[in-house]
Amino acid sequence: MRGVRDRNTKRRQMIELENVSKTYGGQTALCNISLKVERGDMAFVTGPSGAGKTTLFKLLYLAEKPDEGTITIAGCNAADLKSSSIPLLRRNIGVVFQDFKLLNNKTVYDNIALTLRIRGFMEREIKERVHSVLKMVNLRHKVDNYPLTLSGGEQQRITIARSIVGEPTVMLADEPTGNLDEENEKDIMRIFKQINTKGTTILIATHNRALFENTARKVFFLDGGILKGEEE
Amino acid sequence: MFSLRLALQSVIKEMWMSLLSMLSIGVMLFILVAVAVIVYNVEKLTARLPERLTVMVILKEGVTSEENKAVQAAIKAEPAVKAVTFVSKEKALDELKKSLKKDDFILKGFAENPLFDSFDVKIKSEGVHIDEVKRLIQKIKSMKGVDDVEYGEMLMDSMYALKSGMRALGLSIGIVFVCSVTFICYTTVKILFYRHKEEIEVYKLLGATRWFVRAPFFIEGSIIGILGGVLGSGMLMGFYYYFLRKLVADIPMFTFMSIPLQFLYVLPAVGMFLGLGGSVLALGRLKY
Ligand SMILES: Nc1ncnc2c1ncn2[C@@H]1O[C@H](COP(=O)(O)OP(=O)(O)OP(=O)(O)O)[C@@H](O)[C@H]1O
Ligand SMILES: [Mg+2]
Repeated sequence: MRGVRDRNTKRRQMIELENVSKTYGGQTALCNISLKVERGDMAFVTGPSGAGKTTLFKLLYLAEKPDEGTITIAGCNAADLKSSSIPLLRRNIGVVFQDFKLLNNKTVYDNIALTLRIRGFMEREIKERVHSVLKMVNLRHKVDNYPLTLSGGEQQRITIARSIVGEPTVMLADEPTGNLDEENEKDIMRIFKQINTKGTTILIATHNRALFENTARKVFFLDGGILKGEEE
Repeated sequence: MFSLRLALQSVIKEMWMSLLSMLSIGVMLFILVAVAVIVYNVEKLTARLPERLTVMVILKEGVTSEENKAVQAAIKAEPAVKAVTFVSKEKALDELKKSLKKDDFILKGFAENPLFDSFDVKIKSEGVHIDEVKRLIQKIKSMKGVDDVEYGEMLMDSMYALKSGMRALGLSIGIVFVCSVTFICYTTVKILFYRHKEEIEVYKLLGATRWFVRAPFFIEGSIIGILGGVLGSGMLMGFYYYFLRKLVADIPMFTFMSIPLQFLYVLPAVGMFLGLGGSVLALGRLKY
């Protein structure tokens, strides 16, 4: 009986951390963190600069390994994953990087298309999808621009477009509205909600209380690598 | 296909480096071929050597005509032998007298014919290896009624030594150059890889497999190898038309020189193989 219930609760968790710690050469970035995000949820991580939000995300998309603790994402235990299946897991995770990680020698189109080319999509479908996500972020007219010719907010929206074009099951958005005006911020949050209602689990890291105030979403408070609280 | 496009873009963007690598590969492959051609020509020369050899089989004193016939038939039966002619000692003496002309007084001191009956054995010109000739000579030596066998031993041995020397030299130069070409591809691909390191990092984060990341570099290494080979072929053609032909026209002694023109299409293939090998080595131990 217990076994069955355990498995069911596991199924329901999209993201689960158990007693996870991470230090960078003596500097503690995360300390004994345990948290859960359920499948289909939209949750927030907040906290001051240096709290460990980006580090948490890096652990989730397997760019870093935890010193201690276990991480489960999309049903996979990160520690058990073979290096050959890491790419396959990453294809299920759409990441909005805090530093964008756009390729400056490629056009907006190619930057977004890359996600799909990596997955082996046909060019015709790539074109359709890229244009549709560009329309969502209101940047269709910038399709042939290079990232460095765009404003910070535009680059951020391209990064968001790239993260959603592959229709991931989990989205990790690190400060996705940091460079945006209120108008665009609203647009982006609207897109996130739209994707979320289609079933994508979303975790957003932000300083901006306005994003989660007056919503009934789960919020994790981080400070100095310690989970200070959790609110619904 | 996307990998191919990336590789082509990279070759074009890093044109100077690619060109430099191709040029060095081209020159190396060309030198490699030049060495191969020299070895090949020495081989060809020595392969035709047995044809120029006349083997003289000296018969023992007082051999009966039956024994004589038997030996002749036995030699004739050897697959490497083209013709056997009997030279009696009288005939040999005549010939000697003829060649000595006025100086035939030398022979006056002999009461009897000092020469001996012998066979002139001609070796087939094609498909006979020197080793085979040596074996044949040993065999004839052991035949009944045969006293000794004389042949251009010194010449043959020195040619033989030259040939094996050339082979060893060609082989070692070949190995060195093959390694150099591989090394050039190795370094080029490694440099290209490190230049694209940040880009590759992003690829990995977006879910690219090991293969997806590496394929463009393998293709790029192969392209550089192929184009290097094409350059080498070009140089070979140039050398062939402008140099060797003039040389042959001026100094007929070199007519025996020849370049097997199959090299023209073998070189790009060799280049591709080495380029691919170099890039596999370059990325082999990286964790990407
Ligand atoms: N690669 C690294 N090497 C050393 N220390 C690091 C590294 N990455 C992060 N840190 C440290 O870990 C702590 C947490 O950093 P992190 O980037 O996770 O903060 P954050 O919450 O994302 O901050 P911000 O809101 O400014 O983006 C910081 O003190 C930082 O200095
Ligand atoms: Mg951060």
